[in-house]
Amino acid sequence: MKNFISKIVKATMLSGVLLIGAPSFSQSVTDTIKEKVDELKDRLNGIDERVLTNESDLSKLNKIKISGYIQAQYDYFENRLSYPSNSFQVRRTRVKFQYEPVDGVKFVVQPELGPGGFELKDAYAVANAPWLKNIELWMGKFNRPNYEVEYSSSSREVPERSRIIKALYPGERAIGAKLEYSPKLIPLKVQVALLNGNDGLTIKDASGNNVNTAQNVTNKDYDNFKDLMGRITYSLNLGTGVGLDFGVNGYLGQLKATSTTTIKGDYTLDKSDVKVGDALKRNWLGAEFQLYADVLGGMSIKGEYMFGQNALPGYITSSSTTTSTTSLNATADTLTISNITTKDNSQKPNQINKFSGGYVYLVKNIGKKNQFALRYDFYDPNTQISKNDIGVKKYDAAVADVKNTQTFYSTSGAQTTKTVIATITKANIKAASGVSDIAYNTLTLAWNYYLNDNIRFTLAYEMPMNEKTNAVDSKGNYLVYDKGTVNGITKYNYYNDVFSQNTFTLRVQAKF
Amino acid sequence: MKTRKRLIGIAIVLVAVIGFAFAPVQKITVKGSDTMVIVAQKWAEVYMKKNPNISIQVTGGGSGVGISALINGSTDICNASRQMKRSEIDKLKGRYNTLGVEIPCAKDGITIYLNSNNKVSELTLKQLSDIYTGKITNWKQVGGADADIKLYGRENSSGTYVFFKENVVKADYAPSCQTLPGTGAVVNAVKKDKNGIGYGGAAYAEGIKICKVKKDAKSPAYEANAQTIAKNQYPISRYLYMYVRNKPTGAMKAYIDWILGPEGQKLVVETGYFPVK
Repeated sequence: MKNFISKIVKATMLSGVLLIGAPSFSQSVTDTIKEKVDELKDRLNGIDERVLTNESDLSKLNKIKISGYIQAQYDYFENRLSYPSNSFQVRRTRVKFQYEPVDGVKFVVQPELGPGGFELKDAYAVANAPWLKNIELWMGKFNRPNYEVEYSSSSREVPERSRIIKALYPGERAIGAKLEYSPKLIPLKVQVALLNGNDGLTIKDASGNNVNTAQNVTNKDYDNFKDLMGRITYSLNLGTGVGLDFGVNGYLGQLKATSTTTIKGDYTLDKSDVKVGDALKRNWLGAEFQLYADVLGGMSIKGEYMFGQNALPGYITSSSTTTSTTSLNATADTLTISNITTKDNSQKPNQINKFSGGYVYLVKNIGKKNQFALRYDFYDPNTQISKNDIGVKKYDAAVADVKNTQTFYSTSGAQTTKTVIATITKANIKAASGVSDIAYNTLTLAWNYYLNDNIRFTLAYEMPMNEKTNAVDSKGNYLVYDKGTVNGITKYNYYNDVFSQNTFTLRVQAKF
Repeated sequence: MKTRKRLIGIAIVLVAVIGFAFAPVQKITVKGSDTMVIVAQKWAEVYMKKNPNISIQVTGGGSGVGISALINGSTDICNASRQMKRSEIDKLKGRYNTLGVEIPCAKDGITIYLNSNNKVSELTLKQLSDIYTGKITNWKQVGGADADIKLYGRENSSGTYVFFKENVVKADYAPSCQTLPGTGAVVNAVKKDKNGIGYGGAAYAEGIKICKVKKDAKSPAYEANAQTIAKNQYPISRYLYMYVRNKPTGAMKAYIDWILGPEGQKLVVETGYFPVK
C-alpha cells in the first residue's frame, strides 16, 4: 500500500513537473523549428538568387552558337606526271561563331584555320527590319547568292564545287551588302547583293603579280565599280513527296580597264581607244533547279546553267631609254639628234569573252546512312573560239597591234620648219589564245557514309576531261598541261592528247 | 553416323524454329513537342500493349529539339506543335534529299491560363499581344485588379512559343517574360501567382482559370473546346503534327495509321485535345 501510494505521489509529481515544463519545452521546440525554417528559407532565397543570376548568364551564353567542321583527306592523282602522286591534306578547318542577341539580329564570324594559314571566310552582320519582318539586311563578307556557292562544303555530296562556279566566284565570298526577302505565306526567296566585285579574282600585271592581292585590295574594292547580283527562287510542293525548287540568277558587274586596247573572245579587236579606268563589263544569267523525290528513300536531281560575258583587265608597262647620236647642223647639212628619249609601251590588252557552263547532280540516299552522288559539270570559258582556233595561228597581229610611234623634228635657222627626220615604230601587243580558253567536262562519282550526325566518310573519283586541241603556241609546240620527270626524263602532258587528270579522294569529315 | 547427322539436322531446325518464333522487337523513337508528350506517351502505351513486338520510346524537349533530332537522324518520328520552318526543311533536303512528311494528328487550342483569383475572364488578341510585348503591364488596363502582370512563357525551342509569337504576339516577347521548360511548369507558375498569365496546350489546363479569347473587341469571346475549334471560332487553334523523313512504311506506317484511326483519336480527346478531323 505504501509502495503504491509512493508510486502515485511520484507519478503525480512527475506529471506536475511535465505540465509546468511542457509549455516552455514546446515553445523552445517551436522556436528551434522556426529558426531552422527561417534558416532554410534564407538559404533557399540565396539559392534562388544564384539560380536567377545563372539563368541570366546562361541565357546570354545560349545566344552564342559555335559550330564547325574539319575535312581531312587522302588524294591519289592518276596523272603520271603528278609529283607527289598522292598526298594527305587537311582540306578545310572551319569554326563558325554566331551571336544572336535578339531575334532577327545575327553576327557571324567564320575563320578558316587550316595548316595553310588563317583566312577569314565570313564576317557579317544580319538585321531584320522590325516593320518589314520578312526582309533581312546583310553586310560584310558573305557567300555570293548562288545555289552551289551557298550550299555548305560540309553538306555537299562531292568533294569540290563545279568548275564554272569556282571560275566565276573564286573564294565563294564577296564583300558588300545584301537584302534577302522571304515572305511567310509564299515559298519565294529574293536576294539582291551589291558587291565590290573583285573578290578572289586574279588580275596580273606584267611581272605576273596579282595586283588584286598585291595592292591589298582583297579587303577593298579594286576600282570604283560595284557589282550587282540577284537571285530569285521559288519552291513548289508537288505532293506525294515530290518538291521542285527553281529560280534564276544574274550578275551585272564591271572591272576597270588597265590597258588601252580591248580584244574580244576571238582575239579580234574590240576597241583601241580605251581609257584606263573605263568599264569592262562582266554580265551573266543563270537558271537553276533542284528536284526532290521520295523514291525508295530520298533522291534529288539538281542543276544549273549559266552564260554571259566575262572580262579580264590587261596591263601596260613602260620603259624608256635615252640615246645620244650625232648632232644636227642645218647650215653644215649635218644631223645631230641628241638626248632622244624613246618610250617602249608594252601592253596586254583587256579581254571580254563569252562563256557558258553548268552542272547536273544526281543524289540518292540509301537508308539512313548511305548516299550515292554523281555530278557532271561542264565549262567553256570562251565560246567565241573553237578548239581549232586555240593558239597563236589565227591571231591577226596586224589588226590588233598598237603601234607606238615617236616622231622627231628639226628646226632650221630663223624659220621653224618641222621636218620628220626619224620615226620609230614598235609593235608590241602581247596576247594570244591558249590554255585559259580550253573547255572542260568533269564527271564526279561519290559515296558518302554517315557514321552519325557528326562523322561522314566520302569516297570520290573525279574525272576531268579537257577539250582536245591541236593548237600550238608561238614556238610551234603543242599546248602543255603540265610537265614532270619520269625515270630522269622530262615528259609533258599535251592538250592534244588524252591523259588522265583523275583524282581519287578518301575524306573524313568531323562536324559539330 | 546417320544418327549423328539426324541429330544435327534436328538441332538446326529447332534453333531456326525457336529463332523465328521470337520475332525481333522493332523500335520506334519519338521525340519533340512537350505539348504532345502526354498524348504521345498514351499512344505508345496503348499501342505497345496491343503490339508487344513493337517498342516505342517517347521523349519531349520541345518541337525544335524534335525537328533537330529528325534532321540528325536520332528520331524516327518528330512531334511538333508548329509547322517546320523553311530553313529546317532545307536542312532535311540537304541531308536526306527529302521534303519530309507532315502528318497532322490532332488539333489544339492554345489556352490562356490565368490564376483562379484573377477577375479578368476574357481578352482580345490585341490585348494578349500588348501584354506579352510589355505594352500593357497592369491588370487594371484590361479590367482587372491594380497589380503588375507577371508573364510566363516557354523557351524558344518550343513549338508553342513559336506559334504563339507568330500568331498572337507578332513581335518580340517582353524581356520580363519568364521562360519555363514545359507547359506543366507554366501552369504551376500561374497557379501560384495571382497576377500571372501563361499560355499552352488545352490538355494542361487544370487548377487554373481559362481565359476566353476574342478576335477583337466587337467579336464574341470563346473558350477552346471541341465545338469552337471544329467551327474555327476559337482564334488561337492549331494543328499538332508528326513529321517523318520519308513516306512511312512497315511498323512505323502501322503505328501512324493507328494514331490517325478511331482508337488513337479517342486518346487525343481523352487527353484534352481535339481530333484531327
